[in-house]
Amino acid sequence: MLYIHQTSCISPQNGLDSLPKGPVNNLLKAIEPQYGGIPGNVLRRMSKSVKMGIGAALPLLKHSPDGILIGTGYGGMEDSVRFLNQIIEYDEGILTPGTFVQSTANAIASQLGLLCHNRGYNITFVNRGLAFESALLDAAMLVREHPGKSWLVGGVDEISTQNYRFEYAEGWYKKEDLTGKDLYRSDTPGTIAGEGAAVFILNDRREGALMRIRKIALPGGDDEHGLQTALSGLLEGMSPDLLLSGENGDSRARNWYRIVESMMGPDTGIARFKHLCGEYPTASAFALWLACNLPDTLPEHLLKRPPHSALRHILIYNNYKFTQHSLILLERLP
Amino acid sequence: MSRVFVTGIGIISALGSTLAENRSALLNGKSGISLNASLSSRYAGTLPFGAIGIDTGQWREKFRISHPGITRTSFLALHAFSDAVADAELSAAALRDPRVALVGATTVGGMCLTDELYRDTTEPCDGSPYLSSFDCASVHLFLQSRFGMTGLATTINTACSSSANAIQYGARLIRNGLAATAIVGGTDSLAKFTINGFHALQILSTAACRPFDRDRAGLNLGEAAAFLVLEGEETVADKKVYAELTGYCNSNDAFHPSALSLRGDGPFLAMEGALQTAGLEPTDIDFINTHGTATENNDEAEGRAMLRLFPELPPFLSTKSYTGHTLGAAGAVEAVYSILSIRHQELYASLNFGEPIPDLGMRPVQACQPHAIRHAMSNSFGFGGNCTSLIFSNVN
Repeated sequence: MLYIHQTSCISPQNGLDSLPKGPVNNLLKAIEPQYGGIPGNVLRRMSKSVKMGIGAALPLLKHSPDGILIGTGYGGMEDSVRFLNQIIEYDEGILTPGTFVQSTANAIASQLGLLCHNRGYNITFVNRGLAFESALLDAAMLVREHPGKSWLVGGVDEISTQNYRFEYAEGWYKKEDLTGKDLYRSDTPGTIAGEGAAVFILNDRREGALMRIRKIALPGGDDEHGLQTALSGLLEGMSPDLLLSGENGDSRARNWYRIVESMMGPDTGIARFKHLCGEYPTASAFALWLACNLPDTLPEHLLKRPPHSALRHILIYNNYKFTQHSLILLERLP
Repeated sequence: MSRVFVTGIGIISALGSTLAENRSALLNGKSGISLNASLSSRYAGTLPFGAIGIDTGQWREKFRISHPGITRTSFLALHAFSDAVADAELSAAALRDPRVALVGATTVGGMCLTDELYRDTTEPCDGSPYLSSFDCASVHLFLQSRFGMTGLATTINTACSSSANAIQYGARLIRNGLAATAIVGGTDSLAKFTINGFHALQILSTAACRPFDRDRAGLNLGEAAAFLVLEGEETVADKKVYAELTGYCNSNDAFHPSALSLRGDGPFLAMEGALQTAGLEPTDIDFINTHGTATENNDEAEGRAMLRLFPELPPFLSTKSYTGHTLGAAGAVEAVYSILSIRHQELYASLNFGEPIPDLGMRPVQACQPHAIRHAMSNSFGFGGNCTSLIFSNVN
C-alpha cells in the first residue's frame, strides 16, 4: 500500500486561493522562492530545474526519507545544450567542466543526497512524459520491499530556451498568443509551455496520510483500445468522484481525453489543471500535488463539470505527446 | 518473490558485435582500445578510444532505416536489443505482450548529434529531423515503437551506473509481479559531448587505461550497447539460462558531484547491500568485475571499499581495460562479462597492470584462467555518487 504523507510544490501559481496566473507569450514560468537553505556558492552553479527540484524537496528532507527518486523529462537539457554549443564554438578547445557535470540528469537527486547526507537509494528516470510515473512505480515497489521506510519522490522540469525552440519548431506549442484567452476553448494544435517541481514523501503507513495511491497504469503507445482496456482494469467497475484531466488545449490531443471522459459515470466531476502549470513532461506530478491539496470547494476555473459527491476517489489521466499515457487512481483519506 | 534469470544476451562493443566475439577478445587478452578510432572529434588520433568500427551509415543500410533522426546510440541499442531477444527466442508477438517490460539506460542519447543540434538550436528552423531524438528517452521510445511493445517502459540516467540500475529495476518489476519478462540494458555512443566533458574534467588518459595500477592516469572512453533478457520463474520453464540475478543494491556516496569519497562509502554500501539482497556473505563472492575506471579517484575509493568489506579479497579485474569506459552502457556490458565468466567458469586478465597502488597492495587477475565461480559481483559507480552493485549466480 502506497500512501502520500507530505507534499511540496514550486509552480507557476501562488497557491490555490488567488486567481490563477496566466501565461505570458504562451509560457507559464514557475514562481521561484528565495531558496534559503542552499549555500550561495552551490546555488549559483545550479540550473533552474536543479534549483526548483531542490527548493521543493528541502522542506521535506526533515522527514528523513530513506531514498530519493526523481523523474525529469528534460533533465539538464539547458546545461547540456550550453556545453554542446561551447564544444562547437571553441572547436573542442579548453572547456570548464562545471556545465558538463551540472548537465547530467541525475544532478537533482544526487545534489539532494549530498545536501542531506542521504546514502540510501538514489535514482533518476528520464523517459519523457512518464519519468515521474516511473519514480512513483519504483516507490510502490520499494514500500513492498522495505516496510516502514519512507521515500522522497519528485517530478521536475524547466522551460529551457532550447527545449522551447525544439518543441515550438515541432509544433507542440501554439503559434497564436493565448494571453487572456481560454486555453481549453482553443481549436488549434499546440499548447502552452510550463514548468515546476512537485515532491512527495511516500510510505506504507495509512495513519496520518493525505492520500492513498491505489493503482497506476501506464498503457503504452498510440492505441485507443489499449487505453480503454487499461482504464477498465484500473477502475474495476467503480466510478471516481473526480477526474483530473491533463487536457492541454491541443486540438489533436482532445480525442484522448474524450475517450477517458466517456468512460466516467454521470456523477464524476471533471477538473483540469494545465492552465495552472502549462505542459511539460512531469506535469502529472503537479496534478498529484493538486489532488492532495484540493480545497473542499473547488475553484470555478478548475471545473469542466462539477462533481456530485464528496471527493474520495480521484483519477488523474495525463497524456504526453499522444503516445505516453498515465492513469493514477487515488483515494483521499479523511 | 520470483527468482530472476538471464535467458538472453546481446552485446556490441569495441571487442566485437556478437557475444562470441566479445568472449574471444577477453580470452585472448585483446583490447579494443586504440588510437585509430575513426571519430568526428579533434581528439581522434591523439586520445585512445574503445570505438566500434562500424559506420552509422552501415547500420542504416542493414536495418533499412533512412530517417536521420535515428541516431548512432539508437542503432547500437537496436543491434544489442535484437540479438538479446533472438537469443532468448522471444517472438515478435511475445514482445508485444503487456507483461514484457523494457528498461533502458543511456547518458548520451541523441546528444551524439552535436553538430546537427548546434545548427538547429542556434539558427531559426521550422522542424528538423533531429529534434525529437536529442534526449535520452528517444533511444527506448524508438525500440518500443519499432517492436510494438505495450508493457512498462522506462529510461534511467544515473550517469555511469545507469544500466546497472536498469538491470536492478527490471528485476524488481519481475519480483513485484509488474512484468513477467524484462528486457534491460544500456547504450552509449562515443560523442563529442562526453569526450569534451571528460576531457574538461582532466580524467582522460593519453595512453591505454591501467586499472588499479600505481601509475594509472585516467580513463579511456568507449561505446557499447548491451541488453539482457530477464525472466521470472513464470516464463523461464526449461529455457536456456545463463545465470540468476540474485543480488543488487543502489546506494549514494553523498560526497561530491564528480568524485567518490576516499573511503568509498557509497561503493561499500552498494556491495554490502547487494550481498544482503542475495543472502550471501562476503566470502561467498568468487570474483568481482570492478568499476575500475583507472582514474586516480575511482580505483582508490573502490579498492578501499573492497578491502573493508572482504576479509579475503576475491579475484577481481576491470574489463574497462578492454572496452574503455562505456558510461551508461558499462553496467550492462560488465554484467554480460560477469555472466560469461560464470557460464564458462573462467577469469579474464585485467590489462596494463604493473605495480599496485602502494597503500592498497591490490593485484587484479593477471592471466586468463579457469576458475570455479558460483557468485560474481559487478560494480558500477557514477557521477552524483550513484553506486550500484549486482550479483549474478551460477544455476548449474
